[in-house]
Amino acid sequence: MSDGIVKILDGNTFVVSDESGDIEASLDDPTGLFSFDTRFLSTWVLTVNGERLNPLSVDDLQYFETRFFLVPGTGTVYIDAKLSVIRRREVGVGFHEELTILNHSEKPVRLTVRVDAGSDFADLFEVKDALQKKGKYSSEVRNGQLRLRYDRAEFRRETVVSSSARARVDTGGLTFTCRIEPHGEWTTDLDVVPTVGALAGATQLRAGRRQSMQRNLERWLTAAPRVECEWEPLKQIYNRSLVDLAALRFSPPIAGGRSLPAAGLPWFMTMFGRDSIFTSLQALPFTPELAATTLLALGDWQGTRLDDFRDEDPGRILHEMRYGEMTAFEERPHSPYYGCADATPLYVVLLDEYERWTGDRKLVRDLEYEARAALNWIDEYADLQGTGYVWYRRRNEKTGLENQCWKDSWDSISFRDGRLPGFPRATCELQGYAYDAKVRGARLARLVWKDPDLADRLEREAADLKRRFNRDYWVEDDEYFALALDPDGNQVDALASNNGHLLWSGIVDKSKAKAVARHLLGRRLFSGWGVRTLAEGEARYNPIGYHVGTVWPFDNSFVAWGLRRYGFKEEAAEIAEGILEAAVFFDGRLPEAFGGYERSQTKYPVQYPTACSPQAWSTGAPLLFLRTMLGLEPHGDHLTVDPALARGIGHLELLDIPGRWGRVDAFGRGRVDVERMRRARR
Amino acid sequence: MSDATAEFFAALAERGHVPFLYRANGTVCIELSHGRRAEAWRVTVSKGDVSVARGRGPADCVVRGQRALFERLVTGQANAVVALLRGDLTLEGDYNLGVLFQRLFPGSSRRRRPRGTAGYARRRT
Repeated sequence: MSDGIVKILDGNTFVVSDESGDIEASLDDPTGLFSFDTRFLSTWVLTVNGERLNPLSVDDLQYFETRFFLVPGTGTVYIDAKLSVIRRREVGVGFHEELTILNHSEKPVRLTVRVDAGSDFADLFEVKDALQKKGKYSSEVRNGQLRLRYDRAEFRRETVVSSSARARVDTGGLTFTCRIEPHGEWTTDLDVVPTVGALAGATQLRAGRRQSMQRNLERWLTAAPRVECEWEPLKQIYNRSLVDLAALRFSPPIAGGRSLPAAGLPWFMTMFGRDSIFTSLQALPFTPELAATTLLALGDWQGTRLDDFRDEDPGRILHEMRYGEMTAFEERPHSPYYGCADATPLYVVLLDEYERWTGDRKLVRDLEYEARAALNWIDEYADLQGTGYVWYRRRNEKTGLENQCWKDSWDSISFRDGRLPGFPRATCELQGYAYDAKVRGARLARLVWKDPDLADRLEREAADLKRRFNRDYWVEDDEYFALALDPDGNQVDALASNNGHLLWSGIVDKSKAKAVARHLLGRRLFSGWGVRTLAEGEARYNPIGYHVGTVWPFDNSFVAWGLRRYGFKEEAAEIAEGILEAAVFFDGRLPEAFGGYERSQTKYPVQYPTACSPQAWSTGAPLLFLRTMLGLEPHGDHLTVDPALARGIGHLELLDIPGRWGRVDAFGRGRVDVERMRRARR
Repeated sequence: MSDATAEFFAALAERGHVPFLYRANGTVCIELSHGRRAEAWRVTVSKGDVSVARGRGPADCVVRGQRALFERLVTGQANAVVALLRGDLTLEGDYNLGVLFQRLFPGSSRRRRPRGTAGYARRRT
């Protein structure tokens, strides 16, 4: 376990503790029990006869369950092996801990067992930014339970701590006195239950949790296709992805018990338009039900009005939803916040891709209004300059997002010389997504909504957009697409990985694709592990800059899909090989991003310092690579397979791929000589 | 006393069909209190068709709050999700229905829609 932090989670409830299972959080430190974006427990410390305990081992049984084996004495030299302590903790609604103490000696022992408990009820945003609280704390002991409470006007959050064994309860914790016979044991259950006031109805207590979670996970794993592969690590990476994706499933209180992928642990266990859509796209060949839920839940929240604080427009798909105190008091706009310019066109892309895989036309019919409203948003609300492109500029100047594309940090969009453009900005990949949304919307209009006029119109608009785009964004002297247009229509001319997303969208003229592919695999963008977010040589390039030089596995999975779309199979295979090789260094779990250093220089991928892990779209990346390596593509009621994979992968089988064809198997053999390709480019 | 609430429900009844409620099915009961007085409205949705009735009755989702708050919700001065997170509004029963219903409230912006084109959204029949 890296840095001694143990995490377990279930949906948007999670616990982060040290290796003995203790929690001693400071304000800006993300340990504790979190639920609904609020920390419900910031102190949880176990002592036996006044002594802290020493971890012997930690078993991550499942993503929702951990077992800590402890012994008294924190010193590294002296360990009193006459007692051992086991804490088995599982997350559900809050957490449940089974505390067991074993007496290994031949004499009975008398022990004082103490659990200190406390909460700062910090909003996750406060933990992230180390802000101070405005409400009132109280705690009381009632019916043998400890109740910790936080009030600010009508806003109330409460944590209730209780035990099965008799305890002396005070406002700071629980004390047990026990006598354990020789070779005997003593045990108690501890329950920590958060309540979220008026939202209480939304957090239905689920009975028999552990069993049902275990069965749920088993069902999830059994339903997914199986991977057989000569290159052993791929099986491990695949299984890691499936389990992490199961863990990241999140049932927002308004999704009727259905689940969709949340964005990532620990900061992003919530509904994100962009992340949920990209992850659902990656996972379509494996778990198509995630896409259905994502479409329904995001559809339920689709914008209907103009609201400047939330950057909401009619038809717009949300960016991020939060439930904490700062959102409740409008100190943050996430109720929900709509400031993103890509989720709306991508919503239509996902709906179409979902139909192509599953043949589920009912959902396409049910979401006709939402899809039309999304298409309408592109032309009516996103074209801020009236130039026929998708632009963004926040209306919430104080707490809204400046960059409303996936590279959403402040310095991600720059000219070659490092200057930052003004607003509004029209980044290139947004135009690709809009193009793809129109093409796919036209297909759905003709096929399912029976509206040929709309289909014709969308196709005309798509063709026109493609023609203009290939003229206005093409950087002639160096043959790639500019990162964006600035408000005056000038090319923001840095070379970035966004070019790969353009291939994926299909907006690139065939005649230009070869030059784009050459750049993506060229020395400036390709590190050997993957494609950098920003090319080496640009003024703002930094191999450990968040969106200006690091390598993002999610980004690369879509770049590879784009390369395949234009027939660059071997290049796609090379990117897949690089990222999957990198995954081995992270025990099969790809981080959000890693350093853009040259592969030959570092020999191993350098993890980006504060990256989220697991993160949904990194978890989804290996799934999409499996698709692109095997060349899986639905054609009518059939799935075609056209493998191109690196030699080192050897034989690869993907069995029981679900879809409109029932279940089919795909096979491939590694024939692409990545080394030779690399040498040839030097 | 202003009566934006009555106007809101009258306009909703007049509208008769709300396309984004197509997937909603059921009745939302809105119970408002004002000192010792109380009033209730029921909105029934089926495939986007909407009807409004006064008074309590069987419902799939019950929304409770102060009448003064509701006046602010229907005039775009307050936000329903924020009110719910804060505890000023409570929701019981079918949460999905509640989420879909709150989308009927106007936004806070006085800005008009930026450009007037025909648009794609068409009324469902």
